[in-house]
Amino acid sequence: MKKYYLGEFEEIVLLATAILHKSAYGVAIKEEIESQLDREVSMGALHTALLRLEDKGYIRSATGEATEERAGRPRNYYEITALGKKAITHAKESREKMWNAIPKVVLELRGF
Amino acid sequence: MSETPIIQPPKSLLRFFRWFCNPAYAEDIEGDLREMFDREVNARGVTTARVKFSMHVLRLFRPGIIRKVNIQSHNSPSPMFRNYVIASIRSLMRNKGFSALNIAGLAVGLATFSLISFYVYYELSFDKYHANADRIFRIVEDLKTENEMLYQAASSPPMGPHFQKDYPEVEKYVRFQNWSLLAQRGDISSYEKDSYITDSTVFDVFSWKLLKGDKRTALVEPNSIVLTETMAKKYFGDEDPLGQSIKMDYGNYKITGVMEDVPENSHFRFSNLISFSTWSKDNKRAEDGAWFWNGFDTYLLLRDAKSVETLRTKMPDFLKRNIEKGGMNYVDLPLQPLASIYMAPQRSWEGGTRGSMSNVYILSTIALFILLIACFNYINLTTARASRRLKEVGLRKTLGAVKQMLITQFLGESIIITFVSFVLAVILAWIALPAFRTLVESPLSLSILPQPWVIAGVAILLVLVVGLLAGAYPAFIISRFEPLQIFRPASMGMFGHNNLRKFLVGVQFIITITLVAGTMLVYDQLDVVRNQDLGFDKEGMLVVPTNGDTAIVNYLESVKNELKTVPGVVNITGSAQVPGQSANNNYTEIEMQDGKMSPTNINHNYVDYDFLTTYKIQLIAGRDFRRDVKADDTTAYLINEAAVKDFGWTPEQALGKRINKQGRIIGVYKDFNYQSLHTAVQPMLMPLTRYVSRLSIRIDSKDLPATIARVEQKWHSLIPYLPFDYSFLDVDFDRQYKADQQLGKVAGVFTGLAIFIGCLGLLGLTSFVVERRTKEIGIRKVLGASVGGVVVLITNEFVWLIVAALVVATPLTWYLIARWEENFTLQATINPLRFVIAGIAVLLFAWITIGFLSFRAANANPTKALRTE
Repeated sequence: MKKYYLGEFEEIVLLATAILHKSAYGVAIKEEIESQLDREVSMGALHTALLRLEDKGYIRSATGEATEERAGRPRNYYEITALGKKAITHAKESREKMWNAIPKVVLELRGF
Repeated sequence: MSETPIIQPPKSLLRFFRWFCNPAYAEDIEGDLREMFDREVNARGVTTARVKFSMHVLRLFRPGIIRKVNIQSHNSPSPMFRNYVIASIRSLMRNKGFSALNIAGLAVGLATFSLISFYVYYELSFDKYHANADRIFRIVEDLKTENEMLYQAASSPPMGPHFQKDYPEVEKYVRFQNWSLLAQRGDISSYEKDSYITDSTVFDVFSWKLLKGDKRTALVEPNSIVLTETMAKKYFGDEDPLGQSIKMDYGNYKITGVMEDVPENSHFRFSNLISFSTWSKDNKRAEDGAWFWNGFDTYLLLRDAKSVETLRTKMPDFLKRNIEKGGMNYVDLPLQPLASIYMAPQRSWEGGTRGSMSNVYILSTIALFILLIACFNYINLTTARASRRLKEVGLRKTLGAVKQMLITQFLGESIIITFVSFVLAVILAWIALPAFRTLVESPLSLSILPQPWVIAGVAILLVLVVGLLAGAYPAFIISRFEPLQIFRPASMGMFGHNNLRKFLVGVQFIITITLVAGTMLVYDQLDVVRNQDLGFDKEGMLVVPTNGDTAIVNYLESVKNELKTVPGVVNITGSAQVPGQSANNNYTEIEMQDGKMSPTNINHNYVDYDFLTTYKIQLIAGRDFRRDVKADDTTAYLINEAAVKDFGWTPEQALGKRINKQGRIIGVYKDFNYQSLHTAVQPMLMPLTRYVSRLSIRIDSKDLPATIARVEQKWHSLIPYLPFDYSFLDVDFDRQYKADQQLGKVAGVFTGLAIFIGCLGLLGLTSFVVERRTKEIGIRKVLGASVGGVVVLITNEFVWLIVAALVVATPLTWYLIARWEENFTLQATINPLRFVIAGIAVLLFAWITIGFLSFRAANANPTKALRTE
């Protein structure tokens, strides 16, 4: 069953990386998440998640250009891997499967 | 983007981040952080940006981002060592009682060793603090008189200057002479017995620091005086003494300097120094020519320490050239290295304090013995416990441990235990230090110790040596077992070390018995010395110095009569010296049997009427001084038996013999020990004099304090300006045996400690034996053995060991004590009973220690013993 394991925050980071496509790096991912979900993201949490995702093989990183505003530090660009794509797809599908299984009544009551 | 380069994220946090962050991600994350910071600055200002930056950095401090601390590689031996340490600690914790015994024994042993080492170090440190210590030598004298050799610590005033003049090897000289002066300033007056006159070169030769004044000029002018800090404080309080004056006896002295107090580890100490010119300005002839006036101490500073040998070879020539023969002549002028003076054999006229090399040896031996007992304990307890560790050893061996590794493990374990014990020992020694100071009567200030790193080095060395000494044998034994042997408990191979254990316990008993018997014999000897009939009565005698005060000299009879009216005063006399002090050795011509006058040197004590009666010295021929014989005060001499024998007379023949020009011997008195029993009674003459420097007052032993108070009151009304600075003759006299008494006390205390440590070991060993024989005891009891029988069974082994130890210890102690007693002219007979007492005492202690455990084992219910499996 545990084919793909994604924590909630990991899933969000993975999604943000996918959204940003070729321009996903630390600050960009952080801002993407913050603007989309309206929540604060700490650098610590973000980088831990990125490292974990990389360890699991869902993303890969490549060193990019150094800019002046980064005091000469190069950007590390992240890109979702095929395995990563399968993992989010799997996550989405398993949720949809469950969503679909919810009786209409329940949702209507919730909406009340 | 209007970016100003001045705005930077907080530096310290950035540094902190770089420090903890895993280098693999550091660059990327730092880049992100800076970018974020920049944006924040533009969006919300510097302060917010900084706060946010800080929050980010702090929240990055989490596992996953922090760099890996664990950088151990897999082929390093440290995991193995960690395992050793864990195994050691576990085994220590498992046997808490045993570990406690082991550690306590070692700790007490090490504490004792450390304290005694400190004392020995202190004793050997005397005078070594001078920067020129190795180049300073004291001139001493070997003199030959008509009938004896005299070894004197003193020298005469012309020697120093002549040495410097004749030999380029001599850089400088300093002379000292002890003056006991009555110091007065305002209403403070007190005897400064340790005042010295000295040459102005004193501060060049010795390293004493002058705190105020100029060291080149301080002691040049006559009547200049340099005070030590303590004396300055005593007479001047907080005033600046420099330039002020102080009255000493009848002269006024100008204070030209204040110096630091003389360190405690100096062979002589003083309260003040007076310029040599104070004396020499009126005594020029004596200074240049009094080659036989041996009232000075002369120290030479050589240019090179090695040149002392060449200087020594020139001595016969020096003597021949400069000094004519008198009634005595110099055989040699040895040069004593400064640092050796304190421990050198005593010469007459030695001032200051003396050390005793034999005491240093004896105490060092005791310290080593105690450490040895503690080590033996460790060996015994560890080998006894070895069977407990056998499974561990077997498993390690099966898994591939080689012998060396196991030896390392067990040695390491003993070093760890020694280290723990040492830490405890330091605490113990620290607590015991004040008591120890009182015991050895030494100030033992910590300031004399060398640099802390030297001490730390020595301590580490001590821990290693003791750890190896104690651990080597057990480590060797334990690591030798074969795995198969270990897992087959039937084979008793590992218990074959009983003999070694017995041997070690036997040695411990030998040491203990030697110490106990030795201490008792030392006390026996001291008792003999103390209770010896000295030929005079030293009890109930007050001695009051008068410093030759002219009023007392002029009105001696009236002063004596006045004091005699005080109730409780029995008798009074005056004299130059009292028993216990060095005697004056004077050139004298004495009429021999053939009627010729023969030159000789003989001790003198100038005394007053009533000396013999006050001191209760027996007259054996002739008469005492009589007031009604007018000529007595210039011509009468009393002589002692030793001198009479020396000259080959009978006491009756001695009477009427001429002394010098007009003297006559009027009486012969029985020898009394005017010096300690370390030396035989020397010939002595006692002429009559009024010029006394101390009064001896014999008082009734009843109600001593009240009598003394009355005498003091009378004294103050008679001679208000002279302090009543009395002492008890017996106390002063016995002070000559201070070193011996100290030895007795110290040996006593440490013998107690040795017994204590030995008993600790015994306790551990017995509890082990009892434990191992639980079943045997059970079976014996089932088969009908009585409690007594079982106790005897267990204790028997030790009883035989003690008997064997007694047999070995007796001749050993006998020999050692006989050697020590050679120091005394009067020796106690060695009482064989002492050995029996020592044996019984040790037996008793051992029995109390093991008896309790044995009883418990013997009283236990046998079914319990047999059921445990």
